[in-house]
Amino acid sequence: MDTLVLLGGGFASALTPENLLWAFVGVVLGTAVGVLPGLGSAMAVALLLPVTFKLDPTGAFIMFTAVYYGGLFGDSTTSILMNTPGNSSAIATAIEGHRMALRGKASQALATSAIGAFLGAVVSTAVVAFFSGVIIDIALRFGPAEYFALAVFAFVATSAVVAQSMVRGLIALSLGLAIAMVGIDAQSGAARFTLGVPSLFEGIGIVTVTVGLLALGEVLHVASRIHRERDDAQLVRTGGTLWLKRGDLRRAVPAWLRGLGFGLPFGTIPAGGSEIPTFLAYGTERKLSQLRARRGRRPDEFGKGAIEGVAAPEAAASATAGTAMGALLGLGLPTSATAAIMLAAFQQYGMQPGPLLFERNADLVWALLASLFVGSVMLLILNLPFAPLWAKLLLIPKRYLYAGITGFAVLGVYASSYSVTDLWLLILLGLLGFMMRRYAIPVAPVLIAVILGPLAETELRRGLAIGQGDVGVMFTGPITLGIYAVILLAVGIVVVARMRAARRADAPSDRTTSPTA
Amino acid sequence: MNPQRESAPPASSRAAHPARAWLRGRSEVFVGLLVIGVGAFLGAQTMAMHVPDTSTGPGPQLFPGLVSGLMLVLGALLIVQVAREPAVPPTDADPDAESAGIVGELVEGREARRTATHSDWRTVGLVLGAVVAFTLLLQPLGWLLSGALLFFGVSTAFGGRRSLFEAAVALVYSAVVQLAFVAGLGLNLPSGILGGVL
Repeated sequence: MDTLVLLGGGFASALTPENLLWAFVGVVLGTAVGVLPGLGSAMAVALLLPVTFKLDPTGAFIMFTAVYYGGLFGDSTTSILMNTPGNSSAIATAIEGHRMALRGKASQALATSAIGAFLGAVVSTAVVAFFSGVIIDIALRFGPAEYFALAVFAFVATSAVVAQSMVRGLIALSLGLAIAMVGIDAQSGAARFTLGVPSLFEGIGIVTVTVGLLALGEVLHVASRIHRERDDAQLVRTGGTLWLKRGDLRRAVPAWLRGLGFGLPFGTIPAGGSEIPTFLAYGTERKLSQLRARRGRRPDEFGKGAIEGVAAPEAAASATAGTAMGALLGLGLPTSATAAIMLAAFQQYGMQPGPLLFERNADLVWALLASLFVGSVMLLILNLPFAPLWAKLLLIPKRYLYAGITGFAVLGVYASSYSVTDLWLLILLGLLGFMMRRYAIPVAPVLIAVILGPLAETELRRGLAIGQGDVGVMFTGPITLGIYAVILLAVGIVVVARMRAARRADAPSDRTTSPTA
Repeated sequence: MNPQRESAPPASSRAAHPARAWLRGRSEVFVGLLVIGVGAFLGAQTMAMHVPDTSTGPGPQLFPGLVSGLMLVLGALLIVQVAREPAVPPTDADPDAESAGIVGELVEGREARRTATHSDWRTVGLVLGAVVAFTLLLQPLGWLLSGALLFFGVSTAFGGRRSLFEAAVALVYSAVVQLAFVAGLGLNLPSGILGGVL
C-alpha cells in the first residue's frame, strides 16, 4: 500500500497551517467565481497566476485546484435559488433545481447538490490517487506519435465535437494555434509572426490570452448588453431543515452514483469541461424516471422538481474535476480550460506535468492530492449551510463588479511581464473574446490550442524527423491507432446526430419540445 | 478589428440599402473575412519567413502552413454557412436553448439556433476607452491614479451616476490593490508622478 504512505505524507504537508490557509483562500475564491454568472475558475486561476509568482509552488497549486473545485460547488447555488446558472456546468442542475426551490424544497435542493458535488470531488480524487500508478505506466509508453495523437484528440474533441458548430469550434482552434505560433521557434530559431516587435519574440503569454478572452472579453460582452438583460431574477427564500429525509436519500444516492459514472470518465476526455457529462447525467435520470413511471412505481416528477435531476448532474460535474487533475498530472493533458491554465502554471514554475512529475515533484503532487480532500470538506461546510449567503454575491452592483474585474485583468497582465505591450495585446484579445462571445464561437478550444499547440508541433516535427519524412510513423503503435479510432468514432457520432437533428428541424411539427427552464 | 459595426443600426430604421438588408443577421460574414485575412497573413509571413538553414527535418514553416490553409478553408465555410442561414431575431421564449449545444440536441432533441443580438456600442466604447487610457497613462501617472481612473471609467460606463461617489470608490479600490499587491505580495507596479510621495 505504497499509495497510502505517499498520501499520508501528502496530508502531513496539506495540513500545515500555511497550506490550509491557501486551500481556504482557494475554496472561497472558487465558490465566489462559481456563484457569479459569467465568471469561472479558468479566469480566476489566470488572474491569480501572475500575482502568485512569489509563492511556493505547493501553496500556489493547492490554491489553484481549490479554486477549480470551488467553482464546481458554487455554480449550482444560484442555479437553484435564482435560476441563474453560475457556469455552463450548472445549467443542467438549474432545470430541476430551481423547480424544487419554487416548490419550497430549496434547502433540500442545495443539500443534494452540495453533497453530490462533495461525493464527486472526493471519489474522483481518490480514483486518481489510487490509480496514479496505472496512469503513469500508460504515459511512460508515449512517444512523439502518441503525444501528437493525444493533442489532435484534444483539438478535435474541444472544437469539433463539443462546440455547437463544428466550423466555429475549428475556427477557435485555429486562432489558438496561430496565437501559439507567434515568437521565436525553439527548434530552428526562426522568428515567426513577430513583425519585428522584440516583446513578441517570447510569444504571447497564456495569462494575456486567458485574461483577454475570458475577463476583458466578458466585460465588453456584458457592456454591450447592459441595457438589454432583464434583471428580474428573484432569490427564492430558503428555510427549514437542511437534512435530507430518508425518502429523499433513497432517491438521491443512486442518482449521485450514476452521476459519478458519467463524470469520472469524462474528466479524462478533453471535452472542454463538465458541461457534457452533466447533460448526459440529467438526460439519463429523466429517462429512468419516465421508465419508473411507466412501470407504475413512482410518478415522473421531472418538470416539477425531481431530486434526481439535481443529484446526478452535480455529482457528474465535480467528478470531472478530479479525473481532469489526474489527466493533467499524469499525462500532461489538459481536459478543461482551467486545467489548461494550470498546465501553463506548472510550466511557469519550471515543472512539466506527466509521468516524471510523480518522481521529481512527488512531494508537491501528493500534497496537492491530499489538499483536494481537505478542500472538498471545506467546500461542503462552506456551501451546505451558507449557500443562501453566497447567492447574495449577486447583489454586488454590476458596475463595481465589472470595474473591479477590469482592474484585476490589467493588473494581472501587467504583473506577468511588466510590459505595456502586453496591455495592448490584452485589448486586442479582449476585442477578439468579445467578438467570439457575440458570435457564439467557443473560447475553450483557443486556450487548449494555445497550450497544446507547441506540444503538437514539437512532437509532429520530432516524429517526422525520426521517420525521415515518412508520414506513416505518426500512425504506428496500438495507442496511436486507438486514439485516432476514438476520434473518428466521436466525429462520426456527432455528424450523424447533427444530420438527424437537422432532419428533425426540417419537419415542421415539434420544435419546442424542451421544457423551458 | 470592428467587423460588427455594420450590424449596429437598429432594425427599425427604414429598409435602406439592399446590401444592408442582406447583412441583417449576417454580420458574422465579417468574422469569416477576418479568419481568411488572418489565414492569408499567416501564409504570406510563412512564405517570407527567414529560416536559419541549420535545421533538419520538417522546419518551422510546416505547422504555420497547415494552420494557414485550415483558416482559409474555415473562413470560407463560415461565410457560406452564414449566407445560407442568417441568425434569427432574438426571442425570449427559450433563453437557455443556446447554451445546451450538441448535448442539448442529443438529450433534449432540440436544436441550438443562433440568435441575432443587438449591441450597445456606446458602453463598449466607454469601457474600451477606459482601458486604452489606462494603458497610455499607467507609466506616467502610476497605478494609484490610472487604476482609479480605469475603475471610474468602467463603473461610469456601466451606469454609475454619482460621479463623486464613484470616484471615491475607485480611489479606494486602487489604493487597496496597491496595498495588497505591492506592499503585501511584492508586485512592482509603477508609482508614476506620485513616486516621491509613496
